[in-house]
Amino acid sequence: MRKSWLPVGFLWLVYTILILALVKYVNVLPTQWAEEAQVVDEAFLLLMYLAAPVMAMVLAVMTWGMIAWRSDGADREDGPNTHTNRIVVTTWLVLTSALAIGVVINPGFIGLAEIRGEPSSDYVIEIEASQFFWEVTYPNGATSFDELVVPAHMRVRYDVNSTDVHHSFWVPAFRVKIDAVPGITTRVFATATAEGSIEDDINLRIQCAELCGAGHAAMAMPVRVVSDAEWNEYITSIGGSG
Amino acid sequence: MKYLVRAIVFGLVGYVSGVWLTLAVRGGDPTDEVAVVFGFILALLGWLAGIGGLEAFGRQWIGKTPKLSEDHTWRRYFQFSGDHKVIGIQYGVTLFAVLLIGGLVSMIMRIELAAPGMSIVDLEEFNKLMSMHGILMIAVAVAGIIGAFGNYLIPIQIGAADMAFPRLNALSFWLVPPVAIGLLSAPLLGSFDAGWTAYAPLSVTNDSGQILFNLALIAFGLSSILGGLNILVTVITMRAPGMTWGRLPIFTWAGFATALLTFSVTQFFAGALTLITMDRVAGTNFFGPEVGTGILYQHIFWFYSHPAVYIMVLPGLGVVLELVTTFSRKPLFAYKTTVGALLTIVGLSVVVWGHHMFTSGMADFLHGPFMILTEAISIPTGVIFLSIMGTLWQGKLWFRAPLIMTFGWLFNFMIGGITGIFLADVATDIYLHDTYFVVAHFHYTIVGGAIFALLAAFFYWFPKVTGRMYNDKLGSIFAVWVTVAFNFTFMPLFWVGINGMNRRVGDYPEAYAAANKFASISAFILGASFLLFVGNMLWSAVKGPKAGANPWNARTLEWQVSSPPSHHNFLSQPVIVGHPYDYGGDGSPHVIFPDAEEPPDEVSLEEASV
Repeated sequence: MRKSWLPVGFLWLVYTILILALVKYVNVLPTQWAEEAQVVDEAFLLLMYLAAPVMAMVLAVMTWGMIAWRSDGADREDGPNTHTNRIVVTTWLVLTSALAIGVVINPGFIGLAEIRGEPSSDYVIEIEASQFFWEVTYPNGATSFDELVVPAHMRVRYDVNSTDVHHSFWVPAFRVKIDAVPGITTRVFATATAEGSIEDDINLRIQCAELCGAGHAAMAMPVRVVSDAEWNEYITSIGGSG
Repeated sequence: MKYLVRAIVFGLVGYVSGVWLTLAVRGGDPTDEVAVVFGFILALLGWLAGIGGLEAFGRQWIGKTPKLSEDHTWRRYFQFSGDHKVIGIQYGVTLFAVLLIGGLVSMIMRIELAAPGMSIVDLEEFNKLMSMHGILMIAVAVAGIIGAFGNYLIPIQIGAADMAFPRLNALSFWLVPPVAIGLLSAPLLGSFDAGWTAYAPLSVTNDSGQILFNLALIAFGLSSILGGLNILVTVITMRAPGMTWGRLPIFTWAGFATALLTFSVTQFFAGALTLITMDRVAGTNFFGPEVGTGILYQHIFWFYSHPAVYIMVLPGLGVVLELVTTFSRKPLFAYKTTVGALLTIVGLSVVVWGHHMFTSGMADFLHGPFMILTEAISIPTGVIFLSIMGTLWQGKLWFRAPLIMTFGWLFNFMIGGITGIFLADVATDIYLHDTYFVVAHFHYTIVGGAIFALLAAFFYWFPKVTGRMYNDKLGSIFAVWVTVAFNFTFMPLFWVGINGMNRRVGDYPEAYAAANKFASISAFILGASFLLFVGNMLWSAVKGPKAGANPWNARTLEWQVSSPPSHHNFLSQPVIVGHPYDYGGDGSPHVIFPDAEEPPDEVSLEEASV
């Protein structure tokens, strides 16, 4: 009766270790270019680690079922008449609830607090979305339709709105995203951590991430991260009130 | 066929009259959206009257006895029949056809996505194909299992002769073909490109095909609501003597849980689409671009559409639970806890919609509560997994096509469930929202969870419905093929999503080319697998060996009657005397027929050659 516990437990352990090793040694995440990206990636990896034993358990039962519980043909008998097992059900409920509560706390609320951060910022850049282009307005009033240039190591608040339908301001390299909503200004914070451009990483781009019509897929704009000094020079050079 | 011809004629007459009346009153052009609205409404009424509504409802209004189709030949499938088994087959065949059309659309999408740049369509056409694929498949997932197998099986499983409201049931089904016709004819008006979600204000300002989307979906909503009502009343009031709630088969429980949802939340989607329709044709401005109420639309939309995910998946859970107990020859593990879990999922599903909106710009204080509630759903879902694994545990597993499909389901739904946690967590969702990660996730839950269960159900109940056995060897090959091809198609899409490819795009940067090519090739292999499935089903329905009443040696009521069951299902009143899944017990039955003259014909397993 208890003979399956041991092999299934063993398979569970093996699968858990395998999946944990995969998560640890195979990086699926793209390069981080902002502090917010670190928060998101940490949360992502934590969830992957927590998922490992859960996946492993299902896989272990499936594997052992295929190996050892086969019973073919018309002459097969009924299995054991087990309707339930109070200890197993209670343990399961306690463990899954604990896991759910754990995930709500970390990465849940801890990640939420970190990704949201302080409401203060060093600069404010306005982003206005229209079908199908982005307009960037820098603190000095200078505007650009070609690229978004941001200072490294500075906390920038992006004030986002839309002139027509919903769009979404998303810089994959920063991992942050907020919808552009007509009539409302939404905001999101990001602190770039290294200098670079779309030449270095395809994810250094603004990509519209809310279906907005025919040109949605092409509604992208390169992002360039430069030093604070270069950035000030740049925004002055393209105009505005200085 | 004369009723079908009459329905088409009345429908066309209705459409022309609607358009003509509109033009007579306000002038304008026949392709004006307002003319299409009145045309569609009258066409729908004409269609329903023509197919048999005149006899089924109209006669009563003038004091005569209402009549439903009494035909017993193949023609009844094209008539307004109140027979739940006929309606189940009508649903099954219609929605499977829609599934194949939706699948073909996805093949075109995957051809386009096989390489970066545009090859066979442009960006706008791609969005329209994507929207069409989305809504057709949503319709299949919403109504596939519950419409086909819910209608066919729930009355039999509870020992009833039919559904509570046969005429309403026929009405629910006959609303579906106009939905499919409406959606598929939208390209005539420029189609719709706002996705199946139809977010405003895009859906207020896009091409006129959107109006047909709205009308079709409102009609589909009506069908869902009436179907849900019918199932609720049937299960509550028409159970056979002895069929207590504690003895209800788990598939019926799942159908009941689903009906609770369809009956109570579908109105919200229909309501939101009505408001958008008004904005387009009546000059109102609920969701126009300058109003700034797009987030409100999303709230109303997801208030239906998140529960809709469970409308799709709950019947799938019922199928899978039913199958594991039969093919393990063990009682369903923790039956009562599992029923509690199904009902908890129903309750929680209506309070978690906000997790679709973490990046929508809704108020920040809503993020935390929606995250907690969403992650709470993992607990009852975990109970379903416990029940499945507990039932399989040391069972006598009989690896036939239905069980192989169930194993595929288990793997897929596990991936779907776990990746769902990443989308419930605010920090990770802010990144992953609207990427291909989401596309992969919901294909794992909806195809992996609902469509795999639908296919498993086709295998499992095929002998009951047709009286013949499908070819299990080909069925098993299909089950393995579809599972592997499905995973090869959608697993790479997680990766492209994590690496910055957004969804709903016909073009993408070069960086995602290799993974997309792999996914496209796998998708074609996946699509091809359906040829094997359809061939097997069609051939077996005609030429398959006779299956007998109970080829799986199962205990539930539908297997204790002939295959296919007689008209009104039972030759004499069934009385429920035991638990439906008491495998390995003292041999006491689930049901007895005290007044039966002789037991239904039995064919042994060898003869059925399964």
